[in-house]
Amino acid sequence: MLWVDKYRPKTLDKMIVHQEIAMNLKKLVSEHDCPHLLFYGPPGAGKKTLIMALLKQMFGPGAEKVKIENKIWKVDVSFCSHVSSFYWLIFQIGLAGTRTLDLELTTLSSTHHVELNPSDAGFQDRYIVQEIIKEMAKSRPIDTKGKKGFKVLVLNEVDKLSREAQHSLRRTMEKYSASCRLILCCNSSSKVTEAVRSRCLNVRVNAPTEEQIIRVLEFIGKKEGLSLPTGLGSRIAAQSNRSLRRAILSFETCRVQQYPFTENQAVPPMDWEQYVSEIAIDIVQEQSPKRLFLVRGKLYELLVNCIPPEIVLKKLLSELLKKLDSELKHEVCHWAAYYEHRMRMGQKAIFHIEAFVAKFMSIYKQFLIETFG
Amino acid sequence: MGKRPVVVISSSDDEDGGCSVSAGCNSSRSKSERSVGRKKCRRLKKASVLNRQLCKQGHKEEEANFDALLKDFYEDFHGHSMAPGERGRRQKLGSPWADSRELWVDKYRPRSLEELAVHKKKIEEVKMWLEEWVRTSKEQFCGHVLVITGQAGVGKSATINVIASQLGAEVCEWKTPTPTLWQEYIHNANSGTHYISKLEEFETFVERVRKYSLLRSISKDGSKQSVILLIDDLPLTNGRVAHGRLTKCLHFLAQSTQIPTVILVTEYGKADCGDNTNYSEELVLSLERAGASKVAFNPLTFNSVKKTLSRICREEQCNVPSEWIDHIAKASGGDIRHAITCLQYFCLRPDLMLPLNLSALSITQSRGKSEDLSEDLNEMSKLIVNKDENLDYEFPLPFGRDETLTLFHALGKFLHNKRETVDCSALGRDLFTLKDRYKRFPLKMDSPERVVLQMHGQARPIADFLHENVLDFLSDEAIEDAWIVASYLSDADRLLSTSLHGQAWSPIVAGKHDPENVTQLVSASVAVRGVLFGNSHPSPSRWHAIRSPKLWQVEKLRRHNKKLMLLEKFEAYSIFSSYGMSVMATEYKPTLKRLGFRSLEDLQVCRKMTECSKMEVGVYDLLDQDELEGGASVESEEDEIEDW
Amino acid sequence: MAPLLQSSQPWVEKYRPKQVKDVAHQEEVVRVLTNTLETSNCPHMLFYGPPGTGKTTTALAIAHQLFGPELYKSRVLELNASDDRGINVVRTKIKNFAAVAVGSSNRSVGYPCPPFKIIILDEADSMTEDAQNALRRTMETYSKVTRFFFICNYISRIIEPLASRCAKFRFKPLSEDIMSSRILHICREEGLNLDPEALSTLSSISQGDLRRAITYLQGAARLVGSSIFAKDLINVSGVIPAAVVQALFNACKSGQFELANKEVNNIIAEGYPVSQMLSQLFDVIVVAEEISDEQKARICKRLAEADKCLVDGADEYLQLLDVASHTMQALCNRI
Repeated sequence: MLWVDKYRPKTLDKMIVHQEIAMNLKKLVSEHDCPHLLFYGPPGAGKKTLIMALLKQMFGPGAEKVKIENKIWKVDVSFCSHVSSFYWLIFQIGLAGTRTLDLELTTLSSTHHVELNPSDAGFQDRYIVQEIIKEMAKSRPIDTKGKKGFKVLVLNEVDKLSREAQHSLRRTMEKYSASCRLILCCNSSSKVTEAVRSRCLNVRVNAPTEEQIIRVLEFIGKKEGLSLPTGLGSRIAAQSNRSLRRAILSFETCRVQQYPFTENQAVPPMDWEQYVSEIAIDIVQEQSPKRLFLVRGKLYELLVNCIPPEIVLKKLLSELLKKLDSELKHEVCHWAAYYEHRMRMGQKAIFHIEAFVAKFMSIYKQFLIETFG
Repeated sequence: MGKRPVVVISSSDDEDGGCSVSAGCNSSRSKSERSVGRKKCRRLKKASVLNRQLCKQGHKEEEANFDALLKDFYEDFHGHSMAPGERGRRQKLGSPWADSRELWVDKYRPRSLEELAVHKKKIEEVKMWLEEWVRTSKEQFCGHVLVITGQAGVGKSATINVIASQLGAEVCEWKTPTPTLWQEYIHNANSGTHYISKLEEFETFVERVRKYSLLRSISKDGSKQSVILLIDDLPLTNGRVAHGRLTKCLHFLAQSTQIPTVILVTEYGKADCGDNTNYSEELVLSLERAGASKVAFNPLTFNSVKKTLSRICREEQCNVPSEWIDHIAKASGGDIRHAITCLQYFCLRPDLMLPLNLSALSITQSRGKSEDLSEDLNEMSKLIVNKDENLDYEFPLPFGRDETLTLFHALGKFLHNKRETVDCSALGRDLFTLKDRYKRFPLKMDSPERVVLQMHGQARPIADFLHENVLDFLSDEAIEDAWIVASYLSDADRLLSTSLHGQAWSPIVAGKHDPENVTQLVSASVAVRGVLFGNSHPSPSRWHAIRSPKLWQVEKLRRHNKKLMLLEKFEAYSIFSSYGMSVMATEYKPTLKRLGFRSLEDLQVCRKMTECSKMEVGVYDLLDQDELEGGASVESEEDEIEDW
Repeated sequence: MAPLLQSSQPWVEKYRPKQVKDVAHQEEVVRVLTNTLETSNCPHMLFYGPPGTGKTTTALAIAHQLFGPELYKSRVLELNASDDRGINVVRTKIKNFAAVAVGSSNRSVGYPCPPFKIIILDEADSMTEDAQNALRRTMETYSKVTRFFFICNYISRIIEPLASRCAKFRFKPLSEDIMSSRILHICREEGLNLDPEALSTLSSISQGDLRRAITYLQGAARLVGSSIFAKDLINVSGVIPAAVVQALFNACKSGQFELANKEVNNIIAEGYPVSQMLSQLFDVIVVAEEISDEQKARICKRLAEADKCLVDGADEYLQLLDVASHTMQALCNRI
């Protein structure tokens, strides 16, 4: 088992970072007054850990007995409803009809909760959310006193849900509020509609500071019986970009690569990051259509391995920024933002990343000519 | 044949070297071929010819004639009828000149090898094959099939018929009736006619051929004459299942037929990019696997089409200006049948056709000089209107096949970006001057939009192809150009995806000019013009292969990897953690790789994982075909809506 | 194991005024409507104004006061934009509801019970224009027996023919005093401790939206208990502390790209929502005295663009970085 999973705090009491949030959550549970929750914060901040611990706090160890189900949901779609979730459009369409869609989705569930990534269902996400919640509401667990309890639905990556899906989520939240609670989890709350946000208790989970990360690393080191030099710890923390998960993963990698640790041991970056920085070097070395073609091939490589294009673009930007004078930085980051936006709007990421690279090359070449003649 | 030797000589006289239009034609032809290849009317199965003419000429034929045609049409309608090779000849002998209503396509059907306009070598190949197998005794013969591929109207069946009659063999045909069938059926539905799908009929037919070799018994002399089974126009198949049935059926046929069988596979323009192309390729492949030999016919050359046309003109005593013949031949794109039809049509009402076409011509000519955007936009809208009119009246444009250009040909045009070398401002027609960096010389081609329409391209594949290939065509220094091009392609992608999001309302706003259609046109235009504009320093013309977009593979692979990862996500890792895809891809996988599956436990899990993934690969390959990617499935969804 | 679920009513509902006259701070509206209630003659109505100013409350209160609790169900239909059912459901819903004749027999005692039904359409400005046009016909068809109450934020998004059929009521944003008194009232009822700093923070972060203020208050009370401080409210509301915004602004003023980049990274890592950041940055920039109007214009333009991009789902980091870089360039007059 990876250290990330091995040393994940299982209860709210054992949290090393975010103790304050943990205490608040504990209070919520103890008062039996649990609203819908929305956890938001950057990746690797500990949202998931908090949620898991919260579930355990709510339901006891039963929440840990989970099973994986790959289920095909049969969903009746009245297909005008995909036109718009707003009922208003209905006035203008006379047609009605339904058909059945088969949607496949994998869920993690215990008797008390179900966890899923609705965005895996692509643009049929909305139906999934509705259907699963309906299903869950039907099978409510009965507690020892014979009272009907409630179930918790954990939805990951809500910010990746389509607007329609979020909208229908809002309605489902109201409709089934007696039988289930939603715990939503996302990276950026600005991509969650106001309607959903305002119906949840928002919990911001900030990324741990570097000191906190170092503390966690030391804690793990002690448990594993390793001696962690302070220099290495702080370098891992600095390279982690304030993502705790990332820090622990690279810590473990370091352990495999070399032990006992040395003070100035190299902290290996992820292989794809390495690859991106190679691309950056390629770009700076030569600016020509031929080189652009080469870069495109490398970008394909990244995309094939399912590295999300926006992450590629961001990493590429930060690598390129390192190599620039501050004058150019403004322009370059503007174009990065510009093409990233287009990438979202478009379909084929490579078109836009490539346009960014081409623009960078063009700017850089111009700059070189002006500076060195 | 013997009757008209003069024509051969005279028509080969006006042969010039300009066969640049029809791509992929053999331009080097042997001398002997030259004197022979004068004519390429094709002998067609009655049904298909008639049907064609029904659409094209129905308007102007008199009622009576129309009815007659219809009757004929119905006679041939059901199943496989025998069409002995002599039939055409007999009709021919009854004074051909008297009946002006006869279709020229039938009238000038080739009756000897010399009259065929098909490339000599191909004829030779086919002939050898047929000779070999027709003469072989029946006992030795088992499962030999010849597949001839080629686009419509290149003389596939004509070749077979001519050769067969030379060998004295009888040709038995299977004919697929026409696509109007379904409406026919709807019309007759009340009268109790049952609809049998053509595929089913075909299957029973093949079954019979295999089991009983029935054709032998029907042959006229009862004994010695050899028989060639000709299967033209395979039944249309829609969807994978039907296609699978057809393939299987043909496969059996190829393996077990007892008489020489020739299967004609008509290729449709690649530009359409539809599934049909894939299907027909697959089909041919599977036949080859079953032991069939294959001959591919290329489109006919400009010259041979022209020769045939001028000969017909002479015989019909029509005074058609030679530039018209050129034009028709050029527009036919190697489809002689179409060319002749056009010619006949043209000769009927030359007065009516003339002004229309002249204007079309003049537009084509003037375009060379004008690069004015607004004019091109007008042009484009005109084209759109034209296209729509086509749909409305089923009235073809005077001449010209619809797919004159293959995708690759058009791409070549765009990518090579040939321009005039004279500055148009020198002609004094510019009212305002552009900054130097916006200035481009006029294009040496039709307006890009027209080219796109001609190749029936859809914006998405065009953009993908351009994206894949354009960098090869930029000169090495021009990174600025590369950016401009990339930026326009990015715009095009953006536009295309709005059309995709636009599906939310497009079902409501159905119609000819629905936003979908317009966006398609516009984004194709943006992509193409972006490439043309951006590439201001084309690299010196050298030969480049046009690659098919690697992006497509990449996307497929990516989808596949994603699925695998989804599986792994739930199987390989400790159960308490389920992460998003991006975390999996960016953090877990690399770490695991680096850790090298350190612990035994991980290793086992991973073994299991790879095993199941191996199995899955097989499954997914199938799935991938059926399961369309996001965009495509949206389209299918939309179709359903329109059906409602 | 499964904990008991206390079905806690949202305070917004709990403390919603039940009578038109209790609606806070909308004197003119209240005066006209009270008049209406007395004569029990009621036109179609259109309530518009910023969120949380009492539009829905007023509509519901009128309905209640007209029909009383017994008849309410059969006479009033509430629809809001989150009701999406199948295709014809809503259309038929309105039709069915409107078509059933109003019985005059069973009157509740003590309520005027006028002989018509009320359909309340909340969030009417999210209707498409076509839908509004369609609605127009429905209104005419059933005008004898139904009254429509439209509720919207932006009257400009209601088509003219529809708006002209209605009596229009504009709701003003609530002043700080009114808000504070309401909040304090709730605090007393719920037994909360709210220090003055927290109170002023609450009214400033809720920007005149009483519903939002109450929601924040309830959230904070749930999370931290009975004594609530300003920071808890800020935490719950998702508003970014002024210090953070100021830090970014200062970094931009410094003209050093790296500094700004660091600030941006920090904001992302802290998990602050960037759209919120943009609007708070906007507030800071608009009032900043040391910036010229032209600079402000430049910055605001980029802010607007970034906001749109975020709505389209663009990456938060890149957008904020671009905004910061633009701001920096504008401030240093480099554009």
